[in-house]
Amino acid sequence: MNITARRVGLILWMLIWCGGCGFRAKEDTSNTLHLALPTNLQTLDCGNIRDVYGMMVAGNIYETLYSYHYLKRPYVIEPLLAEGMPQISADQRTYLIRIREDVYFQDDPCFPSGKGRRLVAEDFVFAIKRIANVKYRSQNWPIFNERIVGLDAFREYTKTAADEWSVDYGMPVEGLKALDERTLQITLTRPWPQFLEIALSDAATAPVPKEAVDYYRARIPNHPVGTGPYQLVQWRRGSFLELVRNANWRGQPYPQDGEPADEAAGLLVDAGKRMPFIDRIIFRIIEEDQPRWLLFLRGELDTSGIPKDNFNQAIDPTGRQLTEQMRQRGIVLHTYIDPSTFWIGFNLKDPLLGANKPLRMAISRAIDRQRMIDLFANGRGIVAHGFVSPGLNSYDPTIADAGFSRYDPQEAKQLLAQAEALLGKPIPPLKLGMPGSDNVSRQMGQFLQQYFKEIGLTLQVDYMDWPTYLTEMKNGHLQMFSSGVSASCPDAIDFLEMFGTKYFSPGPNCFFYSNPEYDALLEQAQVMPDSPDRMALYRRMERMVMADYPAVFTMHRIAYALHHGWYKNVKPHTFSYNVIKYRRLDLLQRKNYQRLVYEARP
Amino acid sequence: MTAFIIRRLLYTVPIVFGVLLLTFFLFSVIGGDISYQIAGKNADAQTIAEIRHEYGLDKPLFIGPKGNRLDSQFFNHFFKAITFQFGYDLNRERIIERIGRGVIPSLALTVPMFIGTLVISIALALVSAFLRGSVLDAVLVVVCVAGMSIPYLSFIIFGQYVFAYQLDWFPIFYVPDKPIWYSVALPCLIGIVAGLGGSLRFYRTVMLDEMRNDYVRTAFAKGLSVPKVLFKHVLKNAMIPIVTNVVLSIPYLVLGSLLLERFFGIPGLGDLMVQAINSRDYFVLNAITYMMSLLIVIFTLLTDLCYAWVDPRVSLE
Repeated sequence: MNITARRVGLILWMLIWCGGCGFRAKEDTSNTLHLALPTNLQTLDCGNIRDVYGMMVAGNIYETLYSYHYLKRPYVIEPLLAEGMPQISADQRTYLIRIREDVYFQDDPCFPSGKGRRLVAEDFVFAIKRIANVKYRSQNWPIFNERIVGLDAFREYTKTAADEWSVDYGMPVEGLKALDERTLQITLTRPWPQFLEIALSDAATAPVPKEAVDYYRARIPNHPVGTGPYQLVQWRRGSFLELVRNANWRGQPYPQDGEPADEAAGLLVDAGKRMPFIDRIIFRIIEEDQPRWLLFLRGELDTSGIPKDNFNQAIDPTGRQLTEQMRQRGIVLHTYIDPSTFWIGFNLKDPLLGANKPLRMAISRAIDRQRMIDLFANGRGIVAHGFVSPGLNSYDPTIADAGFSRYDPQEAKQLLAQAEALLGKPIPPLKLGMPGSDNVSRQMGQFLQQYFKEIGLTLQVDYMDWPTYLTEMKNGHLQMFSSGVSASCPDAIDFLEMFGTKYFSPGPNCFFYSNPEYDALLEQAQVMPDSPDRMALYRRMERMVMADYPAVFTMHRIAYALHHGWYKNVKPHTFSYNVIKYRRLDLLQRKNYQRLVYEARP
Repeated sequence: MTAFIIRRLLYTVPIVFGVLLLTFFLFSVIGGDISYQIAGKNADAQTIAEIRHEYGLDKPLFIGPKGNRLDSQFFNHFFKAITFQFGYDLNRERIIERIGRGVIPSLALTVPMFIGTLVISIALALVSAFLRGSVLDAVLVVVCVAGMSIPYLSFIIFGQYVFAYQLDWFPIFYVPDKPIWYSVALPCLIGIVAGLGGSLRFYRTVMLDEMRNDYVRTAFAKGLSVPKVLFKHVLKNAMIPIVTNVVLSIPYLVLGSLLLERFFGIPGLGDLMVQAINSRDYFVLNAITYMMSLLIVIFTLLTDLCYAWVDPRVSLE
């Protein structure tokens, strides 16, 4: 029996070992880029995309009229599907845009004979009208709300339609016309200086062929049909997406100029060469940190963020640089400001908080933001002294001196005494709505409770699921709420609009902050072209809001991104999502790395 | 027998009704309005109203308007379930298609895992019970208790790190280019090892109970060989608890393994369930819960039928 048992054991072991050998990852010699997405995608229908990860994929499939220069900083807008910059009328309201004649949609069964047709101006008209279609319920409508002459009336008309597909897109919109196959005319209701950045370089306005919408109807989120350098060939929801080169793409040369340091950084090696350089892209949905990190270390993913638990393995906490282990692997680190702002918002409709500025100030003084950043973001952030993030062109570098976000528990206690005097009784317990009930949310809740307690306030935290939180916040039912925003373009107007009375929730103003003087300045700022005067106005408006303490602004995020040395031409771009066409893989370097990793195993 | 089956099928009606009632309260009454989430951050009131209309959230909760009292969220919830027309998820994909797509990967993982655990644990349980009190038995019991004490997640993290990353025997994560068995091998082995402790302990107790019976002593006294006594007599008589355990486990095989699928990227129903929870897709959760309840009811009935099949003493009158 002993011998039999040994034989069985030996056979089992050989089976597992041989099986294991068969499973060994092979060296990847194909010109394929492997990326990970930490969450599932909702849609690839450009008219309805608003999430970052959706944009990261869709940015390679769709193109817009304008885009940002890949290398130049500050960011510069340049034509992409447009032949040149638009002709703008003297009153700054009418834009005349010529469209390139060498642009074709990808091949797709939605076209007769399956061959992608040439792009025409009417495709842009259709794309924007579709967003206005209320039955389509696009998340991108706020971009165009009250912006284009006649578009709001078209939206009103769509309310009468039976469903999304029975809307007559032939119905004219005065401010949105295809003058001929290659000329698009857009008339705005009033000047909109950020029109190119916010609308015409946003995936929302990417041209969509009507044939595709009619052909795929409800399935259109899974069947993007664009003009970009790549096209989707496979999407297993929740698992992976596969993109390959679009054979109909016209090609585009790699930029020949950039910032002074770009040449030394090797970012101009491919100058003038025809893009794209990569044949195939695989986006794998990997929600857990461990497999994502291990795949990156193994060289099976070309880029990675740094999971919280692996931060010390990747980054030396003293110098904030890569550890020796990472450097030896040839891994490259990019750190850059991610233009974003996070806050604990006050609902100013709340009778207690709305009427008691000393209380709001006391809470602001009570919270140690730097400690919050160290604890919850591994130090990957900077204290928000204002709400306009660094990285935006109107960021005020001197705003820290105003001390709006100063941590001063003593002053907080004095302010609290004033607040209680104003109320005429002790401050009752305050309530904070927290989106999420996971560990990190709870730790954050406890962290804030501790700081409130230090100055003599009681904080109750309601941990809510996301839909409940959104509904409660949007309806103004939360006394305080934890939230944040990322910039979509280098201009801070989005941030400023968050405090306009006109933008009360369900718009972005969930603070219900209302200041007639501010509103008047906002009206003025919204139509001002970029100038030193406008920058001064933006900064004045920011300080005006900060002085009213509608929120405890906590942090701006700093992004830490890693990639392997074989992934070339990488320059972080915070506003553009069509960047993979610029990137190149050194396949030999990747193959050698994977071989070394394999040989180094125990 | 027929009367028994009919009676048991009738029992399923209040059970399924109860499940539907519970899911309605959980997802529609307590769960909150998801229209703001679907609409996106800065949506206007019109868009939100359209969404509420599309998903029927603008209808009364229980009783519909005059003229059509059944046109309420409550009754729609029932009609959808009974007709298996679950509609679309938050991404406008047909729920039934998503569920259908997840079944095969889930079964590819759970069926071999289940069979592996079952065969190994029963075999070891027989040996352990036969050699009770020996060093081998003591070692097995200690290993089982240790295995049961270690969190499932630890097995996954350790297995993935050592066997996939360090030793490079298996892929770390689901590989889209390869057949599904290539990606499920390691999670399957981890599942077997992690599940062995509890399973072995259970079957060892069952086998011990059987080994104490007179017929076992008689069989040995007759001079039958050890394998014959164990596998032909003891195992056969221990079939009732085994059948109960096996048949009732089958519905859960379809559901997959939440943690294993998530860590190894297996695109099965477990992963779908986690995604639905994360994205608060109550429509998907609702459909999966309902279908699971149906499967459990059906397999409970099958378990009862199997009793009669494996043990002639059981009568389904």
